Amino acid sequence: MHIPDGYLTTTVSVAAFAIVIVFWIISFRKIKLAEQQVPMMGLLTALFFAAMFANYPVLFGTTAHLLGAAVIGLIIGPFAGCISMTIILVLQSLLFGDGGITTLGANVLNMAVIGVFIPCALFYIFNKAAKPKSRGSILGMVFVSAFVGDLLAAVAAAVELSLSQGVFQYGLSVTLPAMIINHSIIGVAEGVVAVIMIGTLLKLRPDVLQSSPILGKLAIFENKTEVEP
Amino acid sequence: MANKKTNQKTIIVGLIAALIFVVLGVTVFSYALETFDVKAEELGAQEHQIWTAPFADYTVGGSDSQWIALAVGVTATLLLFGVGFGVAKVLKKRGKQ
Repeated sequence: MHIPDGYLTTTVSVAAFAIVIVFWIISFRKIKLAEQQVPMMGLLTALFFAAMFANYPVLFGTTAHLLGAAVIGLIIGPFAGCISMTIILVLQSLLFGDGGITTLGANVLNMAVIGVFIPCALFYIFNKAAKPKSRGSILGMVFVSAFVGDLLAAVAAAVELSLSQGVFQYGLSVTLPAMIINHSIIGVAEGVVAVIMIGTLLKLRPDVLQSSPILGKLAIFENKTEVEP
Repeated sequence: MANKKTNQKTIIVGLIAALIFVVLGVTVFSYALETFDVKAEELGAQEHQIWTAPFADYTVGGSDSQWIALAVGVTATLLLFGVGFGVAKVLKKRGKQ
């Protein structure tokens, strides 16, 4: 989903940068890390950079790789998650040519802002509404949040392409279905990985999740009740 | 609350998992034809590079060697860990002030 240089018009690129700068400022101001989240931010940054190395087959001979934005956001919070994903995207662009320089704003907007904040907001809303106590319902919410986050990041990329009329002759009616069909499958993979990672931490390192600004709000942490199987 | 040793263990396990991803990505799952690139090209978009990345396509000088790709992948993963950890440390310190 990394947009290279030349795919977007200057107007779309500048607009994306403008939105992203606002999110960077907010994230740097609002970020609050617990002691064990400091190495965790380093680990998640490295882990999901590495995860992008492995390309798995999707549909019609195409491949995809994990994004991990939802997992990062849910574990260390949306503000730290946005910075962590930004680090990945900046280094990928500058050192490895994965994603453009002029399109960095759009890539950060899709993957570090939408990819991180949407799953966190969704999980927050689900948690407020349902107050889940069982492991199954918590992980179900994780899956849906990660799936929707990935899908909306792809939708954002489609919107940016369709707005770049100087480059593309096609509108949203063409770009949107093209992205949504494959990203529905990629979103499922994203959701499954999110469930595996957060499920493992719930079992082995609940203290890491307890210090999360998002998962720490779960009733099992706030009331210190045992998680139901 | 977990102690320092438990934290270190988690980090080591996580980094090993990251390195496994790199090895799998370089050896087994290296074929990449991303949906986005395919669709964008089908719709007429063309890449106009304005910057030549020093390790473009995660290799050195366009080399096909898996060993070079592996070395780049491992080094980059450790670099990302260092940068992520360093930024987090600075942000944590700033939060204390």
